[in-house]
Amino acid sequence: MNVAVIGCGGMGTMHAHIVRAIGLNVVVCADTAAAKAEALATTFGADATPNGIEAAARKDVDIVAVCTSTPNHFPFVAAAAQARKNIFCEKPFCRTIAECKEAIAAAKKAKIKLFVGHVVRYFQEFEAIREKVQAGVIGKPGFVKTYRGGIFPLGEKAWFHDYAQSGGVTMDTIIHDFDWIRYVFGEPDRVFCQAIQRSEPEKLDYSLATFRMKNGIIANVVGTWAHPGGFRVRAEVCGEKGMVSFDSNEAPISTMMRAKPGEGATMIVPESPVDVSPYELEWRDFIGWIEGKNTPRVTPEDGMAAVKMALGALESAKTGKVVKL
Amino acid sequence: MSMTDIPAMKIGIMSFAHMHAWSYAHALKGMTDVALTAIWDDNAKRGRAMAEQLGVPFVKDMNKFLAMDTQGVIVTSENVKHRAMVEAAAKAGKWVLCEKPLATTVADAKAMIAACRKAKVGLGTAFPCRYIPAIKAVRAQTASGALGDIYAMSCTNHGQFPGGWFAKTDLSGGGAVMDHTVHVIDLVRWMTGKEFTKVYCECGNVIHKGIGTDDTGSLHLEMEGGIIVSHIASWNRARTFPIWGDVTLEIVAEKGVVAVDAFNQKIGVYSDDVGKGFWAYWGGDSDQGLVRDFVDAVRERREPAITGEDGLRAVEVTVAAYASARSGKMVAI
Repeated sequence: MNVAVIGCGGMGTMHAHIVRAIGLNVVVCADTAAAKAEALATTFGADATPNGIEAAARKDVDIVAVCTSTPNHFPFVAAAAQARKNIFCEKPFCRTIAECKEAIAAAKKAKIKLFVGHVVRYFQEFEAIREKVQAGVIGKPGFVKTYRGGIFPLGEKAWFHDYAQSGGVTMDTIIHDFDWIRYVFGEPDRVFCQAIQRSEPEKLDYSLATFRMKNGIIANVVGTWAHPGGFRVRAEVCGEKGMVSFDSNEAPISTMMRAKPGEGATMIVPESPVDVSPYELEWRDFIGWIEGKNTPRVTPEDGMAAVKMALGALESAKTGKVVKL
Repeated sequence: MSMTDIPAMKIGIMSFAHMHAWSYAHALKGMTDVALTAIWDDNAKRGRAMAEQLGVPFVKDMNKFLAMDTQGVIVTSENVKHRAMVEAAAKAGKWVLCEKPLATTVADAKAMIAACRKAKVGLGTAFPCRYIPAIKAVRAQTASGALGDIYAMSCTNHGQFPGGWFAKTDLSGGGAVMDHTVHVIDLVRWMTGKEFTKVYCECGNVIHKGIGTDDTGSLHLEMEGGIIVSHIASWNRARTFPIWGDVTLEIVAEKGVVAVDAFNQKIGVYSDDVGKGFWAYWGGDSDQGLVRDFVDAVRERREPAITGEDGLRAVEVTVAAYASARSGKMVAI
């Protein structure tokens, strides 16, 4: 199968490598920043174009991987659906619920498979937590808490810095946790959220969200783009019989490279290698779905539900009121 | 003048309902200029047992206890009884150190402060967390301006389920939110120098089936100057958790981020006799700092460093958190 990669930033590059690793071909790389498209295309012996709409519609393309900035997901998903291509769309699915609905309708109409990359569902540590919870090891769960983030991300044209586009850490990063919490603990009833979304003197975002799930479970999520460096993920679930917890700081490898002359001290980088990347697992799930071998772990409706949770959180942060979901 | 030249301050303890009484008693006994003079408890059996263990006289009658020549008392009863005991002690002219939460209602807390003011005695709230070495070090950072402006904090005070009267709301006034909100609220006020203005709270009995009170609360707060704060107050640590719980704060500030895990000075202990691994805390004894200040306040006839008003502010936040949980809205404090 041939893949068009739309958006050649960090995620586009990463997905291109995964695509090749599982035996698919990257045939075209598209990015409005022509140099980025060229660079990625050269690595994969693919064509480069600044025009993602054209790339998505190419005859030889079977799958379109949408890895652009969030507000641009919808136009490329719509174009790919119209061209009857299967679609891998990075999270967040779309920037608005209306766009999510339209994208789902377009995919149905075109009878194509539309997958949203909520990759945390494939992370081994999160799967280990889910398995223990579902096996009843901690009894009936009542409380879940996650933490995710680190430095403020860079992005092409700094679109992350424009909160109206990216939705900050709430929409872009802890939407992973929102999705995973809904995946494991069911539907949310309401959300309360606070977010700093600072632009001056420094760009910093820090988001504090609490969901009350329909089954009464309390879920707290902290997201940070406020740290000067590093990246950390933590998760815990408490139940009537016990608790499961995870902290990415407790990694099997901690590397600290000796600084070159003239450079300052370096940082400790924790590393937790796995046999199969969670990104590969999500791609294999998606491909299996296309080939009719399995149903996907993430549906586009799941992607929309996560966007709804994030939009609810942002609305709460803006209004200071709890938002019913 | 050496400590041995100073006449000993005579301190009594009212009620051993709260387990902290035990550590305060040991802190008192470890000080050379203090005499733990007597114990009174409305549960005579418990009081007698404690008095015997500590080698201190037990006085069954509260009026007789308060008529003794003690200069100060520590009140460590069930939460709802704080007011009556503090008022009685104040009336008897005793300096009072009251266990947290100072009271379960704002009216009670205010009445206690007024009673102590009227009797011209000092009233302290037992917030020993201010004396944890890690907390003191971070307070020094925030107070010096080394972190610049503080924008946000996320905090926790997790614990194991204490059982007993803590889950009986007619004695405790509330569950985990009542028990595990005030410490952190006080620390955040102390570190920022600002007051809380609003709170939203989701809480409930979500862990321990049928205990009749909340065991987990998730609070969202605003402070003067727009600082946002989240706090988890819980009794959701399993009995098999390697330590009783935690006090953590992450401070997001202009010049950096500080993550504090106040009791993360521990050794791992793995004993086949115990049957599970656990963590043994080796850090500083915060009860010593708290009790030391109280004894000094008694001697110097001054207010303790952590006052009744500090206790009241934390009660106001806690009471507002419960009001928010009932109304489903963020409420003003």
